[in-house]
Amino acid sequence: MKPRRSFLILMVWVLIVSVAWASPPTAVSADAPPEDVVASADPIPFDPFDDPSGDSYGDKDLMLQAVADPIVGFNRAMFVFNDKLYFWVLKPVASGYRVVVPTPVRVSVKNFFFNLLGPVRFVNCLFQGKWRSAEGEFGRFVVNSTAGCLGLFNLVSDKPQFNPPEEDFGQTLGYYAVGNGFYIIWPLFGPSTLRDTVGSIGDWALNPVSFMQLVNVDAGELTSTTTNVTAYSVRVVNDTSFRIGDYETLKNAALDPYEAFRNAYIQNRLSKIAQ
Amino acid sequence: MILKHMLGTLAFFLLTTIPAAAVSMEPMATIKAPVDAVIVILNDPEHKVKGNKSAQRDEIWKVVKPMFDFDEIAKRAVARNWSDFNDAEKAEFTDVFAQFLGNTYIDKIQGEYHNEQIVYLGQDFYSDTYAEVKTQIVRETLKIPVNYRMLKGGEDRWMVYDIIVEGVSLVKNYRTQFASILSKDKPAQLIQQLNDKLAKQNKRLAE
Repeated sequence: MKPRRSFLILMVWVLIVSVAWASPPTAVSADAPPEDVVASADPIPFDPFDDPSGDSYGDKDLMLQAVADPIVGFNRAMFVFNDKLYFWVLKPVASGYRVVVPTPVRVSVKNFFFNLLGPVRFVNCLFQGKWRSAEGEFGRFVVNSTAGCLGLFNLVSDKPQFNPPEEDFGQTLGYYAVGNGFYIIWPLFGPSTLRDTVGSIGDWALNPVSFMQLVNVDAGELTSTTTNVTAYSVRVVNDTSFRIGDYETLKNAALDPYEAFRNAYIQNRLSKIAQ
Repeated sequence: MILKHMLGTLAFFLLTTIPAAAVSMEPMATIKAPVDAVIVILNDPEHKVKGNKSAQRDEIWKVVKPMFDFDEIAKRAVARNWSDFNDAEKAEFTDVFAQFLGNTYIDKIQGEYHNEQIVYLGQDFYSDTYAEVKTQIVRETLKIPVNYRMLKGGEDRWMVYDIIVEGVSLVKNYRTQFASILSKDKPAQLIQQLNDKLAKQNKRLAE
Protein backbone atom coordinates (compact mmCIF):
# COMPACT_ATOMS: atom_id res chain seq x y z
CA MET A 1 0.00 0.00 0.00
CA LYS A 2 1.58 3.22 -1.17
CA PRO A 3 0.33 5.78 1.35
CA ARG A 4 1.48 3.62 4.21
CA ARG A 5 4.94 3.24 2.80
CA SER A 6 5.29 6.96 2.28
CA PHE A 7 4.08 7.51 5.80
CA LEU A 8 6.80 5.23 7.13
CA ILE A 9 9.38 7.10 5.09
CA LEU A 10 8.08 10.36 6.53
CA MET A 11 8.36 8.98 10.02
CA VAL A 12 11.92 7.86 9.51
CA TRP A 13 12.76 11.25 8.04
CA VAL A 14 11.25 13.11 10.98
CA LEU A 15 13.19 10.89 13.35
CA ILE A 16 16.46 11.61 11.56
CA VAL A 17 15.78 15.32 11.50
CA SER A 18 14.92 15.36 15.17
CA VAL A 19 18.07 13.51 16.10
CA ALA A 20 20.06 15.96 14.03
CA TRP A 21 18.26 18.77 15.83
CA ALA A 22 18.91 17.27 19.18
CA SER A 23 22.61 18.02 19.09
CA PRO A 24 23.51 21.49 17.87
CA PRO A 25 20.63 23.95 18.18
CA THR A 26 19.68 22.76 21.60
CA ALA A 27 22.49 24.66 23.19
CA VAL A 28 19.59 25.84 25.28
CA SER A 29 18.07 22.55 26.30
CA ALA A 30 20.23 19.59 25.30
CA ASP A 31 23.15 21.02 27.20
CA ALA A 32 21.14 20.64 30.31
CA PRO A 33 21.41 17.01 31.35
CA PRO A 34 18.31 15.41 32.84
CA GLU A 35 19.63 16.01 36.35
CA ASP A 36 19.43 19.68 35.64
CA VAL A 37 15.85 19.37 34.60
CA VAL A 38 15.14 17.55 37.80
CA ALA A 39 16.88 20.25 39.76
CA SER A 40 14.66 22.95 38.32
CA ALA A 41 11.49 21.10 39.09
CA ASP A 42 12.28 19.85 42.53
CA PRO A 43 10.55 21.37 45.51
CA ILE A 44 13.54 23.56 46.28
CA PRO A 45 11.97 26.93 45.91
CA PHE A 46 13.82 29.16 43.60
CA ASP A 47 14.69 32.51 45.01
CA PRO A 48 15.94 34.99 42.48
CA PHE A 49 17.36 37.33 45.11
CA ASP A 50 19.30 35.22 47.51
CA ASP A 51 19.86 32.00 45.67
CA PRO A 52 23.13 30.58 46.99
CA SER A 53 24.07 29.16 43.58
CA GLY A 54 24.64 32.71 42.39
CA ASP A 55 21.82 32.57 39.88
CA SER A 56 20.39 35.81 41.17
CA TYR A 57 17.89 36.57 38.47
CA GLY A 58 16.42 33.28 37.40
CA ASP A 59 18.52 33.20 34.25
CA LYS A 60 18.93 29.45 34.48
CA ASP A 61 15.19 29.04 34.63
CA LEU A 62 14.62 31.37 31.75
CA MET A 63 17.21 29.47 29.75
CA LEU A 64 15.72 26.13 30.59
CA GLN A 65 12.30 27.36 29.57
CA ALA A 66 13.52 29.07 26.45
CA VAL A 67 12.55 27.31 23.26
CA ALA A 68 13.58 28.14 19.72
CA ASP A 69 10.68 29.53 17.71
CA PRO A 70 11.94 29.92 14.16
CA ILE A 71 8.50 29.55 12.60
CA VAL A 72 6.85 32.10 14.87
CA GLY A 73 4.80 33.55 11.99
CA PHE A 74 3.21 30.20 11.21
CA ASN A 75 2.77 29.44 14.90
CA ARG A 76 1.03 32.71 15.64
CA ALA A 77 -1.32 32.10 12.72
CA MET A 78 -2.06 28.59 14.01
CA PHE A 79 -2.56 29.97 17.51
CA VAL A 80 -5.28 32.25 16.17
CA PHE A 81 -6.74 29.41 14.10
CA ASN A 82 -6.94 27.04 17.07
CA ASP A 83 -8.28 29.81 19.26
CA LYS A 84 -11.14 30.45 16.83
CA LEU A 85 -11.69 26.73 16.46
CA TYR A 86 -12.04 26.47 20.22
CA PHE A 87 -14.48 29.34 20.62
CA TRP A 88 -16.52 28.72 17.48
CA VAL A 89 -16.65 24.94 17.35
CA LEU A 90 -15.09 22.96 20.18
CA LYS A 91 -16.46 24.97 23.10
CA PRO A 92 -20.09 25.13 21.91
CA VAL A 93 -20.02 21.44 20.98
CA ALA A 94 -18.41 20.36 24.23
CA SER A 95 -20.75 22.57 26.30
CA GLY A 96 -23.79 21.07 24.61
CA TYR A 97 -22.37 17.60 25.00
CA ARG A 98 -21.79 18.29 28.67
CA VAL A 99 -25.44 19.23 29.14
CA VAL A 100 -26.81 16.29 27.18
CA VAL A 101 -24.50 13.52 28.32
CA PRO A 102 -24.60 12.68 32.04
CA THR A 103 -21.35 12.88 33.97
CA PRO A 104 -20.99 9.11 34.63
CA VAL A 105 -21.16 8.47 30.89
CA ARG A 106 -18.59 11.16 30.16
CA VAL A 107 -16.34 9.69 32.82
CA SER A 108 -16.70 6.24 31.25
CA VAL A 109 -15.87 7.56 27.80
CA LYS A 110 -12.78 9.20 29.26
CA ASN A 111 -11.83 6.00 31.07
CA PHE A 112 -12.31 3.95 27.92
CA PHE A 113 -9.89 6.00 25.83
CA PHE A 114 -7.48 6.29 28.72
CA ASN A 115 -7.44 2.53 29.10
CA LEU A 116 -7.07 1.98 25.36
CA LEU A 117 -3.85 3.97 25.43
CA GLY A 118 -2.54 2.07 28.46
CA PRO A 119 -0.12 -0.05 26.40
CA VAL A 120 1.45 3.10 24.96
CA ARG A 121 2.11 4.51 28.42
CA PHE A 122 3.33 1.09 29.58
CA VAL A 123 5.90 0.84 26.80
CA ASN A 124 7.14 4.35 27.54
CA CYS A 125 7.57 3.45 31.22
CA LEU A 126 9.71 0.52 30.09
CA PHE A 127 11.72 2.72 27.70
CA GLN A 128 12.61 4.93 30.65
CA GLY A 129 13.33 2.04 32.99
CA LYS A 130 10.50 3.03 35.31
CA TRP A 131 9.64 -0.47 36.41
CA ARG A 132 7.32 0.49 39.24
CA SER A 133 5.28 2.72 36.95
CA ALA A 134 5.23 0.02 34.28
CA GLU A 135 3.89 -2.44 36.84
CA GLY A 136 1.20 0.03 37.82
CA GLU A 137 0.18 0.68 34.21
CA PHE A 138 0.11 -3.04 33.50
CA GLY A 139 -1.94 -3.87 36.57
CA ARG A 140 -4.47 -1.14 35.89
CA PHE A 141 -4.78 -2.18 32.26
CA VAL A 142 -5.43 -5.81 33.14
CA VAL A 143 -7.96 -5.01 35.87
CA ASN A 144 -9.85 -2.34 33.95
CA SER A 145 -9.89 -4.17 30.63
CA THR A 146 -11.52 -7.19 32.26
CA ALA A 147 -13.37 -6.38 35.46
CA GLY A 148 -13.69 -2.76 34.34
CA CYS A 149 -15.66 -3.72 31.20
CA LEU A 150 -13.11 -2.88 28.48
CA GLY A 151 -11.94 0.13 30.44
CA LEU A 152 -15.27 1.85 30.94
CA PHE A 153 -14.65 1.83 34.67
CA ASN A 154 -11.49 2.67 36.48
CA LEU A 155 -11.62 0.35 39.47
CA VAL A 156 -8.26 1.38 40.90
CA SER A 157 -8.53 5.16 40.60
CA ASP A 158 -7.88 5.68 44.30
CA LYS A 159 -4.82 3.44 44.51
CA PRO A 160 -1.68 5.52 43.95
CA GLN A 161 0.49 2.55 42.99
CA PHE A 162 -1.81 1.87 40.02
CA ASN A 163 -1.82 5.49 38.92
CA PRO A 164 1.74 6.41 38.03
CA PRO A 165 2.51 9.65 36.17
CA GLU A 166 1.49 9.32 32.53
CA GLU A 167 4.42 8.71 30.21
CA ASP A 168 4.57 9.37 26.49
CA PHE A 169 7.24 9.05 23.83
CA GLY A 170 8.04 12.76 23.87
CA GLN A 171 8.89 12.38 27.56
CA THR A 172 10.95 9.28 26.80
CA LEU A 173 13.02 11.30 24.33
CA GLY A 174 13.29 14.10 26.87
CA TYR A 175 14.41 11.61 29.46
CA TYR A 176 17.34 10.74 27.20
CA ALA A 177 18.20 14.43 26.97
CA VAL A 178 16.72 15.08 23.54
CA GLY A 179 15.98 18.80 23.45
CA ASN A 180 12.76 20.45 22.39
CA GLY A 181 14.09 21.29 18.95
CA PHE A 182 11.69 24.11 18.26
CA TYR A 183 8.16 25.12 19.07
CA ILE A 184 5.35 24.14 16.68
CA ILE A 185 1.65 24.81 16.95
CA TRP A 186 -0.23 22.29 14.88
CA PRO A 187 -3.67 23.15 13.57
CA LEU A 188 -6.28 21.05 15.45
CA PHE A 189 -3.67 19.34 17.63
CA GLY A 190 -2.30 22.41 19.37
CA PRO A 191 1.09 23.27 20.84
CA SER A 192 4.02 20.91 20.52
CA THR A 193 7.72 20.90 19.79
CA LEU A 194 9.72 19.01 17.23
CA ARG A 195 10.64 16.42 19.84
CA ASP A 196 7.10 16.04 21.10
CA THR A 197 5.77 15.80 17.54
CA VAL A 198 8.10 12.91 16.89
CA GLY A 199 6.90 11.54 20.22
CA SER A 200 3.26 11.84 19.23
CA ILE A 201 3.95 10.00 15.99
CA GLY A 202 5.70 7.27 17.96
CA ASP A 203 2.78 7.02 20.36
CA TRP A 204 0.36 7.02 17.49
CA ALA A 205 2.22 4.11 15.88
CA LEU A 206 2.19 2.27 19.20
CA ASN A 207 -1.52 2.49 19.78
CA PRO A 208 -3.15 -0.84 18.95
CA VAL A 209 -5.37 0.36 16.11
CA SER A 210 -2.71 2.29 14.18
CA PHE A 211 -0.24 -0.50 14.77
CA MET A 212 -2.59 -2.89 12.96
CA GLN A 213 -2.84 -0.36 10.16
CA LEU A 214 0.90 0.01 9.89
CA VAL A 215 1.53 -3.72 9.60
CA ASN A 216 -1.33 -4.01 7.15
CA VAL A 217 -3.76 -5.98 9.25
CA ASP A 218 -7.20 -5.27 7.88
CA ALA A 219 -9.58 -5.28 10.80
CA GLY A 220 -12.45 -3.87 8.75
CA GLU A 221 -14.31 -0.96 10.34
CA LEU A 222 -11.92 -0.88 13.27
CA THR A 223 -8.99 0.23 11.16
CA SER A 224 -10.86 2.51 8.77
CA THR A 225 -9.92 6.18 8.69
CA THR A 226 -13.50 7.25 9.37
CA THR A 227 -13.57 5.26 12.59
CA ASN A 228 -10.28 6.75 13.68
CA VAL A 229 -11.29 10.32 12.96
CA THR A 230 -14.61 9.81 14.74
CA ALA A 231 -12.92 8.24 17.73
CA TYR A 232 -10.44 11.10 17.93
CA SER A 233 -13.18 13.71 17.71
CA VAL A 234 -15.25 12.04 20.42
CA ARG A 235 -12.21 11.88 22.63
CA VAL A 236 -11.36 15.54 22.15
CA VAL A 237 -14.94 16.71 22.75
CA ASN A 238 -15.29 14.45 25.77
CA ASP A 239 -11.99 15.57 27.29
CA THR A 240 -12.84 19.21 26.67
CA SER A 241 -16.17 18.79 28.43
CA PHE A 242 -14.22 18.42 31.69
CA ARG A 243 -12.09 21.49 31.13
CA ILE A 244 -14.40 24.18 29.79
CA GLY A 245 -13.21 27.52 31.09
CA ASP A 246 -9.61 26.59 31.80
CA TYR A 247 -8.33 27.82 28.46
CA GLU A 248 -10.23 31.08 28.86
CA THR A 249 -8.75 31.73 32.28
CA LEU A 250 -5.19 31.22 31.15
CA LYS A 251 -5.82 33.40 28.14
CA ASN A 252 -7.43 36.20 30.15
CA ALA A 253 -4.65 36.09 32.69
CA ALA A 254 -1.99 36.73 30.06
CA LEU A 255 -0.58 39.97 28.73
CA ASP A 256 0.66 38.11 25.68
CA PRO A 257 -1.39 34.91 25.34
CA TYR A 258 0.86 33.42 22.65
CA GLU A 259 3.90 33.75 24.84
CA ALA A 260 2.04 32.63 27.97
CA PHE A 261 0.85 29.41 26.34
CA ARG A 262 4.24 28.68 24.85
CA ASN A 263 5.89 29.02 28.23
CA ALA A 264 3.14 27.03 29.95
CA TYR A 265 3.58 24.22 27.43
CA ILE A 266 7.34 24.05 27.95
CA GLN A 267 7.06 24.25 31.76
CA ASN A 268 4.41 21.54 31.80
CA ARG A 269 6.52 19.24 29.64
CA LEU A 270 9.65 19.88 31.71
CA SER A 271 7.79 18.95 34.87
CA LYS A 272 6.43 15.78 33.26
CA ILE A 273 9.85 14.72 32.04
CA ALA A 274 11.25 15.31 35.52
CA GLN A 275 8.61 13.09 37.09
CA MET B 1 3.54 1.36 87.43
CA ILE B 2 6.36 2.57 85.27
CA LEU B 3 4.15 2.19 82.21
CA LYS B 4 1.43 4.25 83.81
CA HIS B 5 3.93 6.92 84.66
CA MET B 6 5.23 6.93 81.12
CA LEU B 7 1.74 7.23 79.70
CA GLY B 8 1.11 10.12 82.03
CA THR B 9 4.23 11.86 80.83
CA LEU B 10 3.27 11.17 77.24
CA ALA B 11 -0.21 12.55 77.74
CA PHE B 12 1.21 15.64 79.39
CA PHE B 13 3.66 16.03 76.53
CA LEU B 14 0.96 15.70 73.89
CA LEU B 15 -1.38 18.07 75.66
CA THR B 16 1.22 20.76 75.97
CA THR B 17 2.82 20.50 72.53
CA ILE B 18 -0.11 20.00 70.18
CA PRO B 19 -1.87 23.29 70.88
CA ALA B 20 1.45 25.08 70.52
CA ALA B 21 1.98 23.53 67.09
CA ALA B 22 -1.50 24.55 66.03
CA VAL B 23 -0.94 28.14 67.06
CA SER B 24 2.22 28.55 64.99
CA MET B 25 0.18 27.76 61.84
CA GLU B 26 1.98 25.28 59.68
CA PRO B 27 2.14 26.10 55.96
CA MET B 28 -0.66 23.68 55.12
CA ALA B 29 -2.97 25.15 57.72
CA THR B 30 -2.21 28.60 56.34
CA ILE B 31 -3.56 27.44 52.98
CA LYS B 32 -6.41 25.32 54.25
CA ALA B 33 -8.11 27.92 56.45
CA PRO B 34 -8.72 30.55 53.74
CA VAL B 35 -9.48 27.95 51.06
CA ASP B 36 -12.14 26.38 53.26
CA ALA B 37 -13.51 29.84 54.00
CA VAL B 38 -13.73 30.60 50.27
CA ILE B 39 -15.68 27.40 49.66
CA VAL B 40 -18.13 28.41 52.37
CA ILE B 41 -18.57 31.81 50.72
CA LEU B 42 -19.05 30.15 47.31
CA ASN B 43 -21.75 27.87 48.70
CA ASP B 44 -23.46 30.63 50.67
CA PRO B 45 -27.03 30.84 49.33
CA GLU B 46 -27.06 34.57 50.03
CA HIS B 47 -24.61 35.03 47.16
CA LYS B 48 -26.56 32.90 44.73
CA VAL B 49 -28.85 35.87 44.24
CA LYS B 50 -28.14 37.74 41.06
CA GLY B 51 -26.31 41.01 41.39
CA ASN B 52 -24.57 39.91 44.55
CA LYS B 53 -21.47 38.85 42.69
CA SER B 54 -19.33 41.84 43.42
CA ALA B 55 -20.07 41.64 47.14
CA GLN B 56 -19.06 38.00 47.02
CA ARG B 57 -15.91 38.88 45.14
CA ASP B 58 -14.93 41.45 47.77
CA GLU B 59 -15.57 38.95 50.51
CA ILE B 60 -13.39 36.30 48.84
CA TRP B 61 -10.65 38.81 48.20
CA LYS B 62 -10.62 39.82 51.86
CA VAL B 63 -10.14 36.18 52.89
CA VAL B 64 -7.59 35.27 50.25
CA LYS B 65 -5.41 38.35 50.05
CA PRO B 66 -3.46 37.81 53.30
CA MET B 67 -2.43 34.36 52.02
CA PHE B 68 -0.21 35.89 49.37
CA ASP B 69 3.01 37.83 49.57
CA PHE B 70 2.37 40.10 46.62
CA ASP B 71 5.60 42.06 47.10
CA GLU B 72 7.48 38.83 46.68
CA ILE B 73 5.34 37.69 43.74
CA ALA B 74 5.84 40.96 41.88
CA LYS B 75 9.57 41.03 42.57
CA ARG B 76 10.03 37.44 41.44
CA ALA B 77 7.94 37.85 38.31
CA VAL B 78 9.97 40.87 37.20
CA ALA B 79 13.23 39.26 38.37
CA ARG B 80 16.26 40.78 36.65
CA ASN B 81 14.47 43.96 35.64
CA TRP B 82 13.28 44.82 39.14
CA SER B 83 16.21 47.18 39.67
CA ASP B 84 15.01 49.29 36.73
CA PHE B 85 11.86 50.14 38.68
CA ASN B 86 12.03 53.14 41.01
CA ASP B 87 10.33 52.89 44.40
CA ALA B 88 7.07 54.46 43.25
CA GLU B 89 6.95 52.16 40.23
CA LYS B 90 7.64 49.13 42.39
CA ALA B 91 4.75 50.00 44.69
CA GLU B 92 2.36 50.76 41.86
CA PHE B 93 3.30 47.65 39.90
CA THR B 94 2.83 45.42 42.94
CA ASP B 95 -0.56 46.92 43.63
CA VAL B 96 -1.87 46.66 40.06
CA PHE B 97 -0.49 43.16 39.56
CA ALA B 98 -2.11 41.98 42.81
CA GLN B 99 -5.50 43.38 41.81
CA PHE B 100 -5.19 41.91 38.35
CA LEU B 101 -4.38 38.43 39.67
CA GLY B 102 -7.13 38.65 42.27
CA ASN B 103 -9.74 39.66 39.72
CA THR B 104 -8.72 37.02 37.21
CA TYR B 105 -8.76 34.04 39.53
CA ILE B 106 -11.67 35.04 41.75
CA ASP B 107 -13.77 35.54 38.64
CA LYS B 108 -12.76 32.05 37.53
CA ILE B 109 -13.77 30.29 40.75
CA GLN B 110 -16.94 32.37 41.05
CA GLY B 111 -18.03 31.47 37.57
CA GLU B 112 -17.10 27.84 37.62
CA TYR B 113 -17.17 26.37 41.07
CA HIS B 114 -18.94 23.02 40.78
CA ASN B 115 -18.18 21.40 44.10
CA GLU B 116 -14.59 20.62 43.28
CA GLN B 117 -12.87 18.94 46.19
CA ILE B 118 -9.51 20.07 47.48
CA VAL B 119 -7.22 17.26 48.59
CA TYR B 120 -4.23 18.16 50.74
CA LEU B 121 -1.40 15.81 49.85
CA GLY B 122 1.30 17.10 52.16
CA GLN B 123 3.93 19.72 52.80
CA ASP B 124 7.65 19.70 52.12
CA PHE B 125 10.09 21.91 53.94
CA TYR B 126 13.15 23.08 52.15
CA SER B 127 14.32 25.09 55.14
CA ASP B 128 12.87 26.95 58.09
CA THR B 129 11.66 29.65 55.76
CA TYR B 130 10.73 27.79 52.57
CA ALA B 131 7.98 25.23 52.17
CA GLU B 132 5.76 23.74 49.51
CA VAL B 133 2.18 22.63 50.14
CA LYS B 134 0.89 20.05 47.67
CA THR B 135 -2.78 19.91 46.88
CA GLN B 136 -5.04 18.51 44.23
CA ILE B 137 -8.25 19.93 42.85
CA VAL B 138 -10.55 17.03 42.11
CA ARG B 139 -13.10 17.90 39.47
CA GLU B 140 -15.32 15.01 38.47
CA THR B 141 -12.70 12.54 37.26
CA LEU B 142 -9.95 15.08 36.75
CA LYS B 143 -7.15 15.61 39.24
CA ILE B 144 -5.38 18.92 38.88
CA PRO B 145 -2.18 19.24 40.93
CA VAL B 146 -1.77 22.65 42.55
CA ASN B 147 1.32 23.38 44.65
CA TYR B 148 1.76 26.45 46.80
CA ARG B 149 5.32 27.62 47.40
CA MET B 150 5.58 29.51 50.60
CA LEU B 151 8.01 31.77 52.34
CA LYS B 152 8.18 32.77 55.96
CA GLY B 153 9.41 36.28 55.47
CA GLY B 154 9.40 39.60 57.20
CA GLU B 155 5.97 39.25 58.75
CA ASP B 156 7.03 35.96 60.35
CA ARG B 157 4.17 33.97 58.95
CA TRP B 158 3.89 31.65 55.97
CA MET B 159 2.85 33.40 52.77
CA VAL B 160 2.51 32.15 49.20
CA TYR B 161 5.01 33.48 46.68
CA ASP B 162 4.26 31.14 43.77
CA ILE B 163 1.56 28.74 42.65
CA ILE B 164 2.40 25.78 40.45
CA VAL B 165 -0.54 24.35 38.52
CA GLU B 166 0.14 21.19 36.54
CA GLY B 167 3.84 21.89 36.67
CA VAL B 168 3.44 25.47 35.44
CA SER B 169 4.73 28.16 37.77
CA LEU B 170 2.62 31.29 37.68
CA VAL B 171 5.56 33.50 38.55
CA LYS B 172 7.78 32.00 35.87
CA ASN B 173 5.02 32.25 33.31
CA TYR B 174 4.69 35.97 33.97
CA ARG B 175 8.46 36.31 34.10
CA THR B 176 8.82 35.38 30.42
CA GLN B 177 6.00 37.73 29.45
CA PHE B 178 7.33 40.65 31.50
CA ALA B 179 10.88 40.03 30.31
CA SER B 180 9.83 40.29 26.69
CA ILE B 181 7.82 43.46 27.32
CA LEU B 182 10.61 45.04 29.36
CA SER B 183 13.18 44.23 26.69
CA LYS B 184 11.40 46.81 24.52
CA ASP B 185 9.54 49.08 26.94
CA LYS B 186 10.12 50.99 30.14
CA PRO B 187 8.65 49.83 33.47
CA ALA B 188 6.09 52.66 33.27
CA GLN B 189 4.75 51.19 30.03
CA LEU B 190 4.41 47.74 31.54
CA ILE B 191 2.45 49.25 34.43
CA GLN B 192 0.31 51.10 31.89
CA GLN B 193 -0.42 47.84 30.04
CA LEU B 194 -1.43 46.13 33.26
CA ASN B 195 -3.58 49.09 34.22
CA ASP B 196 -5.36 49.01 30.86
CA LYS B 197 -6.04 45.32 31.25
CA LEU B 198 -7.26 45.83 34.78
CA ALA B 199 -9.60 48.65 33.71
CA LYS B 200 -11.08 46.47 30.97
CA GLN B 201 -11.47 43.63 33.43
CA ASN B 202 -13.19 45.82 36.01
CA LYS B 203 -15.56 47.11 33.36
CA ARG B 204 -16.45 43.57 32.30
CA LEU B 205 -16.91 42.42 35.88
CA ALA B 206 -19.15 45.37 36.68
CA GLU B 207 -21.60 44.37 33.95
